[in-house]
Amino acid sequence: MTVEYRPIVPKIKRFKILVIKIVFIVLGRAFQSASQHDEEIKREISSWRDGFTLIMKVMPDGPYMGLEKKNNMLEFKGSKLKQADLEIYFRNVESAFMIMTPQMGSHQAFAEKRMSIKGDLGIATAFTRALVIVMSVLYPEFIVKRLVKRVPPLTIKRAGLRVWLYTLGIVLGR
Amino acid sequence: MLPSYYEFHNPVKIISGNKALDNLPSELEILGAKRPMVVTDKGVAGAGLVKTFIDSFGSSGMTIGAIFDDVPPDSSSEVVEKITAIFRQNKCDSLVALGGGSVIDTAKGVNILVTENSDDLLKFSGAEVLKKKMKPLVVIPTTSGTGSEVTVVAVISDIKRNLKMPFASTYLLPDIALLDPRMTLTLPPKMTAATAMDAMCHAVESYINLQKNPMSDAYAVAAIEMIRKNILTAVSDGTNAQVRLAMANASTMAGIAFSNSMVGVVHALGHAAGGICHIPHGVAMNIFLPFGLEYNLPKCHENIGKLLLPIAGAEVYARTPESRRAEQTINYIVELRKALNDLCGLPMNLKQAGVTEDKLYEIAQAAINDPSIVMNPREMDANDALAILKKAFQ
Ligand SMILES: [Fe+2]
Repeated sequence: MTVEYRPIVPKIKRFKILVIKIVFIVLGRAFQSASQHDEEIKREISSWRDGFTLIMKVMPDGPYMGLEKKNNMLEFKGSKLKQADLEIYFRNVESAFMIMTPQMGSHQAFAEKRMSIKGDLGIATAFTRALVIVMSVLYPEFIVKRLVKRVPPLTIKRAGLRVWLYTLGIVLGR
Repeated sequence: MLPSYYEFHNPVKIISGNKALDNLPSELEILGAKRPMVVTDKGVAGAGLVKTFIDSFGSSGMTIGAIFDDVPPDSSSEVVEKITAIFRQNKCDSLVALGGGSVIDTAKGVNILVTENSDDLLKFSGAEVLKKKMKPLVVIPTTSGTGSEVTVVAVISDIKRNLKMPFASTYLLPDIALLDPRMTLTLPPKMTAATAMDAMCHAVESYINLQKNPMSDAYAVAAIEMIRKNILTAVSDGTNAQVRLAMANASTMAGIAFSNSMVGVVHALGHAAGGICHIPHGVAMNIFLPFGLEYNLPKCHENIGKLLLPIAGAEVYARTPESRRAEQTINYIVELRKALNDLCGLPMNLKQAGVTEDKLYEIAQAAINDPSIVMNPREMDANDALAILKKAFQ
């Protein structure tokens, strides 16, 4: 009896990739909006040069989420950017799904090497702090508490930002 | 506790012991190298170590491609470019770093340029930017502290553009760390103490932070115990080869630990204070360690408590109730600092180290942007950093 050996092409994880793409859009627009309203995020990005780009990328080839600093805010670039000054990698689809859904916080993801950085580590540190703020606005405290070392204070302004994001902020990106 | 997931990587061959240096030619041959370039500094050369180095190559049939002995205390891109030119001109094929942190980082920088065939270091700055396997690199530390002989990082300043360029890549790991007791015998007491406390901080921070894992823990605990048993003798009687070798081993073990689990607020504050007020790294580590631990106490009481065993020994550990161990760990570190201060005048606060109070705010701002804080158990913001700095001031 002869056995036939054929190459195997593993199937695409459509559902998880779709979820990641949706979260990327929500997160990207939330960043664009929050970078215009939240004082702390404004301060974090104030020292970045104009035109500075960053992407989040699921290895090996996407999905992508890009942001660019323009006129003192972060502009959401969708999946257009494939390379950037600062690149934040998710090691694989499973890791990205876990972090984006959000079942795991970014510091744990860095510790477990599910996320890694290419580029300026100082800016990456500042971006991670901004990400924590955006997450704390997007998600209720009982979820955020499991993800971050210290929950940023939900000031009246941030509570307002949350309402704004969920009504028009994410849709309009303003 | 076992982390849900971790990674550990240390491919560096460790060669340690009496006349270890004499094995270097045959080790280089295994690596396929025939014309090593030596990177070192005036202090090392002045202590006669370069002569010992050359002697060890006698009758080996190998040619030393060039010896550059003018690396400044702070590695700079200009020096890296200068050495790179000599490396190319003399057709060298490998690098030997003979020195402390600055020499090792410089050699790593040279390796980047000669491997990438480039003259612009800035292009390769950052994490994971490097993509090629590099030329063979052997590191022979002449201080016992930085751990650079087993780490994936290098920091080189660009004086013209006034910035510090960090590099992080597994390709930066040396091939060999060679520990020969002769290489640290002449290190002066204060430098011995400061670099030893740097190693201590690597081990302690690696043991308490978020990326700790069973492998890094094993190295950290072994390093701390070896430091406790040898640090005071190394400072008071530098000619004791046995003790010097133990300190070199401890430093390398601490390096392996933190290279795999990162450091924390003590290093973040130390990097910031070093950048702004030019405090030597080891001196800053000695100043900040107890305050950093105190700050992290609410988040990792148990882990700091476990460190009492390597830091104070089994007797003290057994005598101390579990609930008091963490505080005792800090007390023992404070005592150790006092002993070192008596022996060699190692500063215990920022004021003694020449920092003025008006700089504290600036240091705090820089500290929270230092990547070292990411794996620290407690999230340090600028106010927290300033509070620690005020405590450490006098
Ligand atoms: Fe250090």
